[in-house]
Amino acid sequence: MARPKLLRWQAIVPLSLFLVLLAVTALLFLDTFVERRVEDSATYLVGARVDLESADVRIGEGSVTLRGLQVTNPYAPMTNLVQADEIVLDIRKDPLLERKLHVDTVALRGVRFGTPRETSGALENPPAGAGRIRREIDAWVERVRVPPLSLEGLGQVLNVDAISVDSLQTLQQARLAQAQADSMLESWTVRLEALDPRPHIDSARALAERLQAADLGQLGVTGVTQLAADARGTLQDLEQLQRGVAALDSSARQGLAHATARLQAIADAQLADYRYALGTLRLPSLEGPQLSPAIFGEAALDWIRPALYWTRLVGEYLPPGLDPRRYAGPKRSRASGTTVVFPDRDAAPRFVLQHADADLAIGGAGVAAGTYLARLAGLSSAPTVYGRPMELEVGRRDGVVGPRNIRVFALLDHVSAPMRDSLDVVVSGFELPAVDLGALGARLLLGEGMTALRLRRTGDRIEARWTWRTPAASWERLDGATPAVDSATIGSQAWAESLLWRAVSGIRDVSIDVRIGGTLRQPSLGVSSNVGDAVARSLQQAVGREVERAEREVRERVDALVQAEVERAGQAFAELEAGVSERIGVPLAELTDVRALLETEIRRLTSRLPGGLQIP
Amino acid sequence: MPGAILGWLLTIPFGFLLDPVFDAVGGALLVGTDGLTPLWTTLTNTPVLSLANLGNTIVLGSLVSWAVLAAPLFFAVRIGVIQYRRHLYPKVAEWRIVRVMKASKVYNVYRMFRP
Repeated sequence: MARPKLLRWQAIVPLSLFLVLLAVTALLFLDTFVERRVEDSATYLVGARVDLESADVRIGEGSVTLRGLQVTNPYAPMTNLVQADEIVLDIRKDPLLERKLHVDTVALRGVRFGTPRETSGALENPPAGAGRIRREIDAWVERVRVPPLSLEGLGQVLNVDAISVDSLQTLQQARLAQAQADSMLESWTVRLEALDPRPHIDSARALAERLQAADLGQLGVTGVTQLAADARGTLQDLEQLQRGVAALDSSARQGLAHATARLQAIADAQLADYRYALGTLRLPSLEGPQLSPAIFGEAALDWIRPALYWTRLVGEYLPPGLDPRRYAGPKRSRASGTTVVFPDRDAAPRFVLQHADADLAIGGAGVAAGTYLARLAGLSSAPTVYGRPMELEVGRRDGVVGPRNIRVFALLDHVSAPMRDSLDVVVSGFELPAVDLGALGARLLLGEGMTALRLRRTGDRIEARWTWRTPAASWERLDGATPAVDSATIGSQAWAESLLWRAVSGIRDVSIDVRIGGTLRQPSLGVSSNVGDAVARSLQQAVGREVERAEREVRERVDALVQAEVERAGQAFAELEAGVSERIGVPLAELTDVRALLETEIRRLTSRLPGGLQIP
Repeated sequence: MPGAILGWLLTIPFGFLLDPVFDAVGGALLVGTDGLTPLWTTLTNTPVLSLANLGNTIVLGSLVSWAVLAAPLFFAVRIGVIQYRRHLYPKVAEWRIVRVMKASKVYNVYRMFRP
C-alpha cells in the first residue's frame, strides 16, 4: 500500500496562487476600501453625506492622502460645510494592529467653506445618533412659538362677539369659588349643629342667675356648697364645648383663607382672559422687546439650530467616562450589526489626533481671502483615557484685503463629567450674510460688520450669546417692489407694508443679540435688536390709539361676559364670611362670656363661706 | 478542500438568513452581560486580536454560534453523509447529468483536490 504524499503540489500551488491573488487584490483595492470607510464613518458622524474623490494609502510610509473631500452641511444639503482639495495625514503604524488610528500631524490644502454642491447631500435614512439629535432639535424648533407681527387687523371693526365664553377661565374659576363657598358653609353649619352650643349657653346663663340670687342665710353652707359644685360641673362642660367650637372656628378661618386665595385666582384668570382675548384679535405689541422676537425669531432659530446640533453631537460622540459605546457596524453585504467599543484605561483610545497645524488658504480677492492658521490638539475618541481636553484655535495669518480680524477658540473638556465646552468666535470686517425677515417683508443686508459667538456648555446646560453688529446695513423688499403710500387705509396690507418699510429702511446701524439658555434639550431663546425698537416707535406713533381702543373694547367685552359670575362668587364669599362670623363667632363669644360670668359668681359665692371654704 | 468549498457555498445563504439571530446573540454577550465587559475590553484592545472585530455583534454572535454548534453539526452531518453514500449515491451516480459532469474537464480539476 502506497504511503500518502505529505505535500500535494496539485493542491498547494493553486491554493498559494489564490492567496497571492487575494493579497494583491486587497492591496489594489485598499485605497478604495479606505475611501469608502472614510465616507461612511464621516457620513455617520456628520449626519449628512460626505464625499471623497480618492484616497492614497501608503502603509510603509505611514501616510494617508485624501483628495476631494466634501462635507455636506446637514442643514443645507445643497451646500458643503467644508471642502478640502487635499488632506495629508501622518499616521502611526503600530496602533493599526489594534484597529486604532493615531494621527500625528494633518496638513490641509485648498479649504473652502459654504461651497455649493452639484447634488443634494441629504440622507434618506440619517444615522441613529445624528438623525435623532436633528429630529429632536427640529421638534423643539417646531414647538418654539415665534410671536406674529400682524398689523392687518388694525382698523377693522373689532368683532368682540367672537370671543368664546367657553374659553374664558374666569367663569370656571368663579363657579368653582361659588360651589366651594356653599360647600364650606354647609359643612361648618352641620358640624356646629352637632355641637349644639345654644342649650348649654342658655342653661349656663340660668345657672349664673341662680348663683347671683343665692342667699347664704337661706341655703346654708350645705346648699351653697352644692350649688357651687353644680356650677363647677357646668363650667367644665362649657370648657369642653368651647374647645370644640374654637376648633371649628379655627378650621373655618383656614377655609376662609383658601376662599380668599380662590378670589385672587379669579382675578388672575380675568387677566389671563384679557390676554387670551387680545391674542385672538392679533393686535401687535408696541414694545420693542416683544417686537424683536417677532421680527428676528425665525432667523435666530435658523442660526442657533446648527450650534445646538454640533454641541449635542460632540457630546454624543465624545462622552466622558469608560462606558462601552455603540456605533453602527460597517456597511457590507452581510448585516452591519452594532459595533461596541470598550475603552480601556490602560490602552490607547481608538482614535487620536495629537496635533494638527493647518494652513487654511482661501484664494481670490474677496474679503475672506487670505491664509488662516488652525491649530488643533488633543482630539480623541476617548477623552477620559487620553486625559486632556481638546483645543482648537483658528486665526488669520495675514490678509490680502478685507478682514481685520478672525479668531476662533474652542475648548472641549470631556475628561470627566460633567462635560465642559467653550467656544468663542469673533469675526469682524467680513461681509455678513443677508437675512430674510418675513415679518417685515424685507431682506436685511448686513454688509460689512462684526459677529461674535460665545458659547458655554456644562453638562446638559448651555448658555450662549450670538451678536451681530453692522454700521452698513441696507434693506430691500422681498417682493422687489417699493411699497406705496400713506393714503392706504389703516390696517390694510398696503398700509402695514408701507409703515414697516418706512420704519426700517433708513436704519443703517443694526445690532442683533440672540441668547440661548437652559438645557440642551429644552433651550430658551431670547432676541433683542434696535430694529425692534425702531418698529415699536413707528407703531406707537401710527397706531397707538387704535391699539388702545381695541384693548379697551376687548376688556369691556370680557368684563361683560364674566362680571355676573364674578359678582356671584364675591357674594358667596361675603355670605361665607358673614356666616362664619354669625354662626360660629357669636356662639363662641357667648360661651366665653358665660364662662367668665360663672367663674365670677362661683368665686363671689364661695368667698363668703366661713373660713374661706373651697369647693372642689 | 472540495468539501470545504461546497460547505462554504451551501452555508452562505444561511449566514445571511441568520444574521438577526447572530446580532441578538452578539448583543446579549457584548451589551447585555456586564460581567463579560472586562473580557471584551481586553480582547478588543489586544494587538492583532482586535483585528478580528469581535466588538461587532454579528461577528461575535456568528463566531459563538459556530463554536456552540460545531460539534453537534459535525456528528449530524457525518451521519448524513454516510447515509447518503450508502443509500442515495449509487442512484445519483446513475443520473445522466452526473455522468455528463464526470466526463467534463471541470470534474478533472475537481479531482485534483481529492485526497
